[in-house]
Amino acid sequence: MVKEFNILITGVGGQGVILMSELLGKAAVKDGLRVRGSEILGMAVRGGSVTSIIRIGDEVYGPLIPMGKCDVLIGMEPSEALRNITYLSKSSLVIVNIAVTIPFTVSIGESKYPSLEEILEKLSNASGRVIKLDAAQIAQEAGSLLTTNIVILGALFGTGKLPIGIETIKETIQRRFPAKTAPVNIKAFDLGYQACQQALCQ
Amino acid sequence: MKELTISSDAPGERLFVLGNEAIARGAIEAGVQVAAAYPGTPSSEIMETLAVVAKDVGMYVEWSTNEKVAFEVALAASICGVRAMTSMKHVGVNVAHDPLMTASYIGAKGGLVLVSADDPWMWSSQNEQDNRYIAEQGYIPILEPSSVQEAKDMMADAFKLSEEFKHLFMVRSVTRIGHARSDIVLGEISRERRKGSFKKDRSWLVYTPAEARRNKPLMLERFERIKKAANTLPYNQLRLADGAKLGIIACGLSYSYALEAVKWLGIEDKVSVLKIGTPHPLPQELVTRLLNSVGKVLVVEELDPFVELHVKAIAGEANIPVKIHGKDLLPVIGELSTRAVTEAIAKLTNSKLPVDFAALDKLGQEVAPLLPLRPPALCPGCPHRASHYAIRVASRKVARDYGKEVEPIYPGDIGCYTLAYNPPQEAVDTCICMGGSFGIANGLAHVVDAPIIAHLGDSTFFHAGIPPLINAVYNKANITMVVLDNSATAMTGFQPHPGTGYTATGDKTVKLKPEDIARACGVKFVEVVDPFDLKKASETIEKAIRFNGPSFVVFRRLCAIIDQREKRQRGEKTVPYRVDQDKCNIKCGACVKLLGCPAIIKQDAKPIIDSSLCTGCGICAQICPYKAIIQE
Repeated sequence: MVKEFNILITGVGGQGVILMSELLGKAAVKDGLRVRGSEILGMAVRGGSVTSIIRIGDEVYGPLIPMGKCDVLIGMEPSEALRNITYLSKSSLVIVNIAVTIPFTVSIGESKYPSLEEILEKLSNASGRVIKLDAAQIAQEAGSLLTTNIVILGALFGTGKLPIGIETIKETIQRRFPAKTAPVNIKAFDLGYQACQQALCQ
Repeated sequence: MKELTISSDAPGERLFVLGNEAIARGAIEAGVQVAAAYPGTPSSEIMETLAVVAKDVGMYVEWSTNEKVAFEVALAASICGVRAMTSMKHVGVNVAHDPLMTASYIGAKGGLVLVSADDPWMWSSQNEQDNRYIAEQGYIPILEPSSVQEAKDMMADAFKLSEEFKHLFMVRSVTRIGHARSDIVLGEISRERRKGSFKKDRSWLVYTPAEARRNKPLMLERFERIKKAANTLPYNQLRLADGAKLGIIACGLSYSYALEAVKWLGIEDKVSVLKIGTPHPLPQELVTRLLNSVGKVLVVEELDPFVELHVKAIAGEANIPVKIHGKDLLPVIGELSTRAVTEAIAKLTNSKLPVDFAALDKLGQEVAPLLPLRPPALCPGCPHRASHYAIRVASRKVARDYGKEVEPIYPGDIGCYTLAYNPPQEAVDTCICMGGSFGIANGLAHVVDAPIIAHLGDSTFFHAGIPPLINAVYNKANITMVVLDNSATAMTGFQPHPGTGYTATGDKTVKLKPEDIARACGVKFVEVVDPFDLKKASETIEKAIRFNGPSFVVFRRLCAIIDQREKRQRGEKTVPYRVDQDKCNIKCGACVKLLGCPAIIKQDAKPIIDSSLCTGCGICAQICPYKAIIQE
């Protein structure tokens, strides 16, 4: 029985954050798990910050992760992971895609983007472990930059912490994509999985 | 095995859905035959879901021009004995308010349900109104779900209750129900299909003063019966703990936070809990039993102290010596959270907090200055960016003729284009309600001497833009009205509308053109222009502003997201632009500063174009003074 497992996925509009939580939720339900989650859609997200929540377990009721209770924080973009730092505790794991997306407010001089080292240091201090991946690079290796989110999904399973079966998530990915693009996505998942396992060994 | 879908007749099976899909599923299970809505976050996916399956399940589904019409469509079906529903965002209910306030006098023949999707913290809204007050004003009973599963169940039951009590019901959702995800257990689908029939009967359908006076007492009697029944409805549950000093009354979604908080604090057996699924009318007997069993009570609810006030009234009326807390310990603004509820309960029970929230707050404050601002912005290739640029250039030129200090005024409206209030556009001076741009412009025209250029989108124009357009003609308001026509209700998810030529269920229909409507309404200056032709667009809008009397300009160009999607489907390649660094004067920065396009970023002080984001619209190339932006 799973009591409570909280995943927070953060990123920028267009990075496929919502799709990741849909795949996770579907797979969890297939494995007989209870799932709760939520996201913000519409006006709030056009090109802006996106977060999506997936909570798995029998003792989960609300749609939001309480502060300090996140098991895995995923940053599809480094500064977006940092934006959600208060959900972390010393037992949390952080997975960060190190590819930076600079918002237009930085270009027009309205705000500044911190250094990657600073972001990683803050996340590292607040959590149990930070795994950094160049997911875009891995996605290219898999055959398409569009699979960046699936690479990170693979990495999430590579942590070995998820209560969802690997075959179940792979089957869910397989069914979600057209026959033509499904193999690229499965490859992206496998590469992400391996990259995470390698990072954990280091 | 066949994949389960939202309309699968598979009772007992589990499906992972969005809350709004669950609400739609409830309507399908209830055998709803008529469903009408106008899109609005966080309600849109309800009708979108129904539109997709409408023909398979035998339901009539429409996107109406606005919420008032949508409500009337559903009301008419109910009058004819057919189960009907309408869904809208909280402020949409304001638009439907007129018929809504008489609807409870009419009652319901076929089950009639209004879904009000409230938006605590105003994620996508102009205000945070609590529609439980609207329901109370109209004697409309509310069902308020605590989870996605309950949203589905309540929706299915609401139609039965509506027919049992011959009364309209409201299902009140919030953003964290409609846009929550969860597994739900499917119920049975009713296959009953009724033939609608209209029987002339002025005694309950014609609201002259005499008939209204006769119907109000009948309505009050119906409501009294519902009030009694609230005590036994399964959505209200009282769990008394032996010797509990604290009672918690939690309404709707707040119940889920309260459950988690009590567990987190490890005091499940020390507090009594009353779950409220019908905030209006409250289950008075259950409330009284709880109040009599404890020394203090915490009312947990989002937004206004609606339940709190009524609980206080019950306690006062019955002289129960109990201290009632609520908004003294919980915020009246925004969404609740497990944290907020945990802190309030900890205070009342002298419990130790499970997490050092203060330390986390401190961490959050430390990190905040490091974070880059990432507000929502107009997409790369968005035609509104070009339209606003043209309007700005032309209107500032005309304003100079009014006087040195005069600035053009831009009354704005509700849609993607509202995002142009941010720099660098700063092209929205007011944003209040649907159609409010034209309305506010009408008023400004009679009190200020400046160019007034009001703008709204195509869907908003059909929704609420036509009466103020006629008003401008009739009352001779010297304003320029602009329709930013991107052939979509883009902000809410590209729903079709009267200007698209398609209905909700994909059937072809008449395609209405805003310019034809403006001409028919008597506007003498009407032009249509492509905003991507910046020069012509600026010239046209300048002529419109200089025209003496109301003028009307349509900026027509397909939404960039739809355009890109269609191009991909046709196999067309997007050819991005790039900056020729030899020609670029890095001191200039016009492309970055004037457009605010997410595809144009600065790297080492030089503007560069992100080819993965660029849609090839070429607006930056048109405005570059050094002709340094070229297509690949």
